[in-house]
Amino acid sequence: MIVKVNNQEVRIFKGASVKHALLRYILRVKADVSNIEKLQVKDRKGHQLDQDAPLKEGDSITVNL
Amino acid sequence: MKKILFFFAILSFLTIGCSQKKGNNYVRPSYKTDIHIVSANDMHGAIENMPMLAAAVDSLRAIDKSLLVLSAGDNRTGNPLNDLYTIPAFPMVALMNYIGFDASTFGNHEFDSDQPLLEKLINLSNFPYICANTFADTELGIQNIPYKFFDVKGVKVCVLGVVQLGIQGTPDSNPDHLKGIRFESVEETINKYLYLRDQCDVFILLSHIGYEDDCAMAEKFPQFDLIVGGHTHTQIEGGELHNGVLITQNVNKLQRVTHTILTVENGKVTGKRAENIEIATSKNKNPFVAQIVEKFSDNPELQRVLAVATAPFSTYEELGLLMCDALKEMTHSEIGFTNMGGVRYDTHPKGDFTVDDVLRLDPFGNGVVIMELTPKEIEDMLIACFYADRNRFPYTSGIKCDIEYTANKNNEPEKVVKLTLTTDDGQPLDPNKKYKVAGNAYAVTVSDSPREDEGREFGSISSDLLIKFLTEKKQINYSGRRCLTEHIVK
Repeated sequence: MIVKVNNQEVRIFKGASVKHALLRYILRVKADVSNIEKLQVKDRKGHQLDQDAPLKEGDSITVNL
Repeated sequence: MKKILFFFAILSFLTIGCSQKKGNNYVRPSYKTDIHIVSANDMHGAIENMPMLAAAVDSLRAIDKSLLVLSAGDNRTGNPLNDLYTIPAFPMVALMNYIGFDASTFGNHEFDSDQPLLEKLINLSNFPYICANTFADTELGIQNIPYKFFDVKGVKVCVLGVVQLGIQGTPDSNPDHLKGIRFESVEETINKYLYLRDQCDVFILLSHIGYEDDCAMAEKFPQFDLIVGGHTHTQIEGGELHNGVLITQNVNKLQRVTHTILTVENGKVTGKRAENIEIATSKNKNPFVAQIVEKFSDNPELQRVLAVATAPFSTYEELGLLMCDALKEMTHSEIGFTNMGGVRYDTHPKGDFTVDDVLRLDPFGNGVVIMELTPKEIEDMLIACFYADRNRFPYTSGIKCDIEYTANKNNEPEKVVKLTLTTDDGQPLDPNKKYKVAGNAYAVTVSDSPREDEGREFGSISSDLLIKFLTEKKQINYSGRRCLTEHIVK
């Protein structure tokens, strides 16, 4: 499935959680993964999400690295 | 004439007391009162936060003993102390019973329990599971109800429950656990039960369908006063009004719950407000619940012997192979793989292999992903995993890997220059075939390489598969087994 992280498309397995999309995005932009658990993630309407939150096709999340 | 009308008005008032008649034969109360609701969602086995939840509920019950306590599902999955208890997931049920939950809906993770376990957990619960779009075959004994009326200070509150359905039309869980259970679309289900609106004063949707779908349902069905939501772990500040329907939800594991107050006047909700209550960081604990949690945390199940190792494990590779075999066999795949960093110890003595040993070996609660891959895609994925896992090649089952690396100045692998994959009996992989590959979700995620099939969640965590694998095998011997042959080339 395809989701968006910071408006960038990320292909990921069906059933992935926020942490999986985030991890793949961070590796792709070559950012530091060591503090990944502390990153604040928001949905497209600006609500906080925890990193176990499930994602579905077309979801869009944002994170400040 | 006026006297006659006045007489009938008085008569009807005396007949129905402080009530009004509306819809069917339901008589609505005409006084004003506040209904207090505490709602949790996606608790995911966070038994450690139940003493604080109990204290919060105690405080609110001191204000209003008619407090309704609701769970929007996913009570289990996410904490081995809960999920691997002697009766799996029983600690949460026991704690919810003690706290006095009035109802829960099913979350998709309630179906992480297989059918007999789900039946047992429901029977052990003092509260009903309200879920209108789930229909279990009678012989399974799974007793959920579509809706329930609660009499709260004379106000009739109706709670209708629904669970999320994925693209397959079933909740996102292990498909084996859904056999014999039928699911209907959320929207059709709600339509079917809209008549309940006329039979109650307060109409609540207890929903495990996720925030965006809650918003969509609020737009389509303004008949609801409140949607108590779950599934997407969305932190809503207090509550949000959508088309006049108040929607609530919190992030997972009882970091917060929502306290909703509905003002009901003349049988109609005239005021809605909601606030979040911090749970995980609260210092207030119910001491008795804390004692029960302590008891559950001392879980004898962790010492259960799953299998006997007839020879010691002496390398990461041997233990990695064990994990890969479990991934492969328990998902009926042809190949299993795991990143080396996912194998957390490198020796295990001859003798008992316990649940605790599994959880120390594989402590991350990683899901499992199944993919259909060509040999080239497998190669690319394994190489991507090597680079993502600090230049350590992943372990595999079902195939053997011969890898040539260049070395850095410390003579450690730096770059893969050649990778040859063969089957366990030394044959090359069929380039025209797609192989069914199972990997833990972390390894699959970090292995960012081109492939047509990104895969799908299997519906179990990798440590659970290892527990099942060892239970089936009874005896194991991985001494001297290898999957990797590594060469440094100049």
